[in-house]
Amino acid sequence: MNKKLLAVLVVILLAVGGLGLSRILAPKGEEGTKEVTVQVLITSENIDFTDSYKTDTLYLEELLKEQADILMPETEDTQFGPMLVGLMGYQADTNKEYFNIKINGEDAMVGIKEIPVNEGDVFTFEVSGF
Amino acid sequence: MKSQDSNLSVWDIVLIPLLSASLTAGKMALSFIPNVEIVTLLLMVYACVFGFRKAFLVTLIFSTTEIFFYGFQTWLIGYYLIWPLLTYVASSVYKKSQSEWPFAMLALLFGLFFGLFFALVESVFYGFSYGIVYWVRGIPFDLVHGASNFVTGLFLFKPMVSLLTMLRDRYYFAQGLQRQL
Repeated sequence: MNKKLLAVLVVILLAVGGLGLSRILAPKGEEGTKEVTVQVLITSENIDFTDSYKTDTLYLEELLKEQADILMPETEDTQFGPMLVGLMGYQADTNKEYFNIKINGEDAMVGIKEIPVNEGDVFTFEVSGF
Repeated sequence: MKSQDSNLSVWDIVLIPLLSASLTAGKMALSFIPNVEIVTLLLMVYACVFGFRKAFLVTLIFSTTEIFFYGFQTWLIGYYLIWPLLTYVASSVYKKSQSEWPFAMLALLFGLFFGLFFALVESVFYGFSYGIVYWVRGIPFDLVHGASNFVTGLFLFKPMVSLLTMLRDRYYFAQGLQRQL
């Protein structure tokens, strides 16, 4: 086989393998009903909201949508997936602030679409400046 | 013909913005496919055919043009660093080898480490945690970026260098003839 075509094939296979691996290694949500806590802190609006929910959802985005009546999430599509820009009627000014998401007190490493929902998790959404 | 206050010829003054425009046009044309781009290939070719100095000026104009499209963003600081770095490495490699293989490898590595480089720049502004998130989140895009860069580099680098070298030499030849007349 032509050397160039072989090299391209190898690189494409490695890239596809890497993409597959990143999907396999991505954290997954726990099946079944879980009880989780959601906290929303928006200092400028004097919002300090905490509530617990029983849910079967696997990821945070689904949980937010499930509780849309109360949490009223608003998202913007980006190339990295949906970005949370609004909660409880407050829309963050994306030029100077964002919704910082913490899971059990630790900064989230991925967006809401990929944050798994596990039993006892505490999700904190706090509007923070850049 | 050279301008009085710089070492740039009129040819350079016309050529450099044209090459910059071709980068912007190339980037725009492929912008609908995330992280598949032709800027890396074009800059490597420009650095090899026209030399580091001209290619460096091309990167400055290209990066500045991005501000007009996207406003001033922190990632633009990375643009002012990474594209000149690429042109420097490409022009240095070209002095040692004219084969397409080292350039395909350079393009591959450039794509694979693109996200990491920008994560480092972003972490200066938003903290180390943010940098890690930025990099990890972008790894699938870096894989696509690296693979597509490799393919374009392997198949298009040499024909483009040959074509541009021929056009450059033809121009110089014509200029030489005019001067003799």
